[in-house]
Amino acid sequence: MSDGMKRRDFLKVLGVTGAGAGLVGCSTDNVEKLMPYVTAPEDITPGVATWYASACGECPAGCGVWVKTQEGRAIKVEGNPNHPVSGGALCARGHSGLQALYNPDRLESPMRRNGDGHEAISWEEAEEMLASGLRDAGSGTAFLTGRTGPTLSVLMDELVGELGGRRVEYEALSEAPLREASRIAFGRDEIPAFDLESADLILSFGADFLETWLSPVEHNRGFARSTGVQADGSKARFVFLGARLSLTGMNADDWYPVRPGSEGVVALALAGALVDRGGDAGPYASLVQEYDLSAAAEAADVPVSSLETLVDLLDEAESPLILGPGVAGQHRNATAANLAALVLNAVSGAVGTTLHFDRAMTGAASSSYGDLATLISDMEGGAVSALVVRGTNPAFSLPSGSGFREAMENVGFSVALATQMDETAVLADLVLPEGHYLESWGDSNPRPGVWAVQQPVMQPVPHFDSRGTGDILLSLARNLGVETDAETFHDYLRNRWSDRHSEAGQPGGGFEAFWRQVLREGLAQFPADAVGEVELQSPDRALSFDLPEMDGEDDGLNLIVYPSSRLGDGRGANRPWLQELPDPVSKIAWHSWVEVHPDTAAEMGIRKGDIVRLETPHGEVQAPVWTYGGVRRDTVAIAMGSGHENYGRYADGKGVNAMRLLPAVEEAVSGALVHLVTRVQIEPTGRHRRLATIEGSDQTRDRAIVPAVQVDDLRAGDLGDHEPRPRTELRGGGGFIPVPSDAEPESFPHEGSRYGDYDPAENRRWAMAIDLDKCTGCSACITACQSENNVANVGEDQLLMGRDLHWIRMERYVETLDAEEPGPVDIRFLPMICQHCGNAPCEPVCPVYAAYHTPDGLNGQIYNRCVGTRYCANNCPYKVRVFNWFGFSDVPEPLNWQYNPDVTVRAEGVMEKCSFCVQRIRTVENRASTEGRDVRDGEVVPACQQSCPAEAIVFGDARDPESRLSQVSRDGRTYRVMDHLINTQPAVNYLRKVTFHPVTDIHV
Amino acid sequence: MKKQWFLAGAACLAILVSFAFVHARGVDETTVSAGEAESVEMAVALADDPSFDDPIEFPHNVHAGATDDGGYGIDCMYCHSSAERSSSAGIPPVASCMGCHSAVRADGSEEIERLTEFWDAREPIPWNRVYKVADHVQFPHMRHVSAGVDCAMCHGNVEEMGVIEQVQQPLTMGWCLDCHMEMSASRDCTVCHY
Repeated sequence: MSDGMKRRDFLKVLGVTGAGAGLVGCSTDNVEKLMPYVTAPEDITPGVATWYASACGECPAGCGVWVKTQEGRAIKVEGNPNHPVSGGALCARGHSGLQALYNPDRLESPMRRNGDGHEAISWEEAEEMLASGLRDAGSGTAFLTGRTGPTLSVLMDELVGELGGRRVEYEALSEAPLREASRIAFGRDEIPAFDLESADLILSFGADFLETWLSPVEHNRGFARSTGVQADGSKARFVFLGARLSLTGMNADDWYPVRPGSEGVVALALAGALVDRGGDAGPYASLVQEYDLSAAAEAADVPVSSLETLVDLLDEAESPLILGPGVAGQHRNATAANLAALVLNAVSGAVGTTLHFDRAMTGAASSSYGDLATLISDMEGGAVSALVVRGTNPAFSLPSGSGFREAMENVGFSVALATQMDETAVLADLVLPEGHYLESWGDSNPRPGVWAVQQPVMQPVPHFDSRGTGDILLSLARNLGVETDAETFHDYLRNRWSDRHSEAGQPGGGFEAFWRQVLREGLAQFPADAVGEVELQSPDRALSFDLPEMDGEDDGLNLIVYPSSRLGDGRGANRPWLQELPDPVSKIAWHSWVEVHPDTAAEMGIRKGDIVRLETPHGEVQAPVWTYGGVRRDTVAIAMGSGHENYGRYADGKGVNAMRLLPAVEEAVSGALVHLVTRVQIEPTGRHRRLATIEGSDQTRDRAIVPAVQVDDLRAGDLGDHEPRPRTELRGGGGFIPVPSDAEPESFPHEGSRYGDYDPAENRRWAMAIDLDKCTGCSACITACQSENNVANVGEDQLLMGRDLHWIRMERYVETLDAEEPGPVDIRFLPMICQHCGNAPCEPVCPVYAAYHTPDGLNGQIYNRCVGTRYCANNCPYKVRVFNWFGFSDVPEPLNWQYNPDVTVRAEGVMEKCSFCVQRIRTVENRASTEGRDVRDGEVVPACQQSCPAEAIVFGDARDPESRLSQVSRDGRTYRVMDHLINTQPAVNYLRKVTFHPVTDIHV
Repeated sequence: MKKQWFLAGAACLAILVSFAFVHARGVDETTVSAGEAESVEMAVALADDPSFDDPIEFPHNVHAGATDDGGYGIDCMYCHSSAERSSSAGIPPVASCMGCHSAVRADGSEEIERLTEFWDAREPIPWNRVYKVADHVQFPHMRHVSAGVDCAMCHGNVEEMGVIEQVQQPLTMGWCLDCHMEMSASRDCTVCHY
């Protein structure tokens, strides 16, 4: 080309050819069309979002949500601030509901078994098949369902009753032992509410209440409110007792690495010690006296002195709260362990203070595996001639030994109602595509008197010919000749609500007005039955509190199979948002890993990433090792939820199904499936893999990234050495200009700085404050950001090359962690986003001015300017800029329906990063301008802040001294990451974590 | 494809609203056309060439033209009502056309016949798009309306046009900025690009 054609000529020719191609493509067929409404819906303005109140269907916690729709599509799910459970926030799984709604693997039509596969059939055929199948089966019909909304349950039970069949409920994550323990201890057959907010001492015997346990969003909020340091320096203390530190455990102040299964003994011994100091254990007084601290210390493998410390803490606490073992800790004596925790609550005065029955978790899952086991044996024995499965996936979530798959093959006629194929549906003779919860009617009743409506927020996604479960059942009822009082499930639901409204004495006037109000608010509060004083009762059955029996060889390691905080029991596995969300504990995405203590691994000669074979008497799986100091040396842990075979393109073949290692054994008392039940042998396979992790290092190496302060120092006003030090200049061969400053965001810009020289009097400076004493690392913000900002996923292979596109990186640093001795644990989380530096190193290196400073203090990134040199990312000290290497935004239809039309969908070859949700800022500015007023403080809420269940994030104008942001930032704990080293003058103020133990003072 | 989903969207909204009440947070969202998110790479020709026929020949000059010139002098906002509330000026629903044309029926007008056919079939009219800014541009109509920018400044003398066309507006960034500088409006990139 050098002599024949110059480069510029070549480009010119290319340009002309390109234009020619453009002209050829120009025909009337390609003219973009503008399609108006035929009749405009009254409440919709084109281009303006419409919000509907509904209820989240991801887990039984029953959060109320608001769903943003635009031109008839749901594009974002947010918490409903009026709802007592969600309080306006949401977790990562709640956000990901959109990816289930628009999942490209959803069923397109009803399917009938044909040989080994399924063939599509019409709804008419399907309904006929369903009705005749169940009519023939009659009393041999069984419904197997997950946790179901109250009104749908009524309809289902009505139908099952008419058929003479039965309904069995099964949820893989069930709190049956807690419910049974509550019945034994207090005579209340329900799950109490745990009021973390009012507690000043929280003891968790393994419950992962910030992740999956009962009501994670609500617990995050309460936990952050009590353990986040207050203005007066008060702060609740959190002690975690368990063999493995979950994310919840990582937020503890102290960790007692007790032997798995010893919770019951420890709780009773603590209660006994409190009784010695004057506590009242009622009918359990003699029982708790049988357990002394030294025996408990022996059983738990911790020093007796540490338990004495705990007794002191409990004795001094004014409002302690004790939480039981949770699903991962359900062993053969799980009910006893839960009962012991409840007794300890009673002795320490928590009942009525922090443990409430008037707010009992009526929606929580407490199904018994025992009931399902009976059903399975009936299925094997031929007593079940028709089976309808809905909302649960036992073929995946049960251990192989349950025999569910074989039993299902043995049922003459099996039906699955599902949104997409799963391991259970694929075994069914008839598969009916049910509507997603955002496109069908339903309701929930998470607390006594609290009723929420699950309202469809859009018409069913047209790619999939689905029908609401309620409507399928009503049609079935008609075909079976069962009388119901409604044609559609919407009417049926309204009728039940009308009844409830009448029973409650018609609050809010006539039903129509009431119903309208409910749809607008998303919920209604009815008076609930008063709960009198709750007291300990004599146990009505004998329980063993001893260490549970474990299967497997004595020299094996204890195996913990815990619910994944991202994938739950596995139902979130076909959503790229959740698969690619780095696990809050391990920072690994997409695949499974086994957590092994580094010393144990070293003894076996295993390194991080080595693939090992895990073998129990019940099964084996192979997975890579992630060495983790947060698990006892005699224990290994692996998450549930991965390893699907038939669940769609994002789930299949990703990771391993840890339930394959467990026996199908129920706990004798409550019938729950036991999780902590077996020991495991680990053998290296000789193979190794790179872990798909976003983690660089878990050590700060004394850099001032996440400094902390001890609570005593904070109270004494001693915040360490924070005199400004001389600045180190980075300039050298160019780059941004370090200028002398006092490094206050509000003093930006500085005289002499070349960039962003705007008049402070006329412009805001948008800034953020993140309280690291509240942040729990739950990572809801990451998924909220993905949803709001059209952040794409890259997949496992690209993640391995470090090409993830998340705008928020939840950094996790390990400061103090010891699995040998009880003592302080200090693990620090830091949500790292673009710092919107006042003196940003990325800006001057951009050759095309795509990275630049806006007058309102944002570090702008203009996608249409960006040519992809990546200089900015190389120059960013915070590593928050991400590059779209391969058109990751191209996703299969209709997953792209979820894209936010307010935000550009970035193309290949473009750099992107956190924009402080500039589209939300501009929206508010536009609104304020059209209304002829100023933007109000607190009016701009970025997606991360909106979603944060811990309420750790505040956003606002740093130049307004009265803004909440300024007020929060005027705190001795405030620091800016690495600012003192490189003078970047970030707009993100972090507030230091507060610890109970002494910490190294790092200059910030 | 585009038509399909838009039809579905329009239909679904109409039905949805009939049974669900809305919790609107007021006029609080800006947006571009609903199709933007999915059609970043879709090659699109715009109907700036009058030879692209609209399904109905809609004479803006008759509707919006001055009454002295034989027009009806209908205000732009009567049909494009969301321009002052939303990013999108909006295309009037067929029902709005029929609001007048169920009574106003020039004898033998084929165009009104066609309009009635669309209405009777309850089908939207697939208008050709004449104005479109690039997908990476956010254009809030309401900001311009509230700042007192006359519609004609960008759209020309529509009230004199028989067939709508782009006149003298290249819709380039330079053209936008000329006006922004003249009016002392913001020249910050992130005002339009995000």
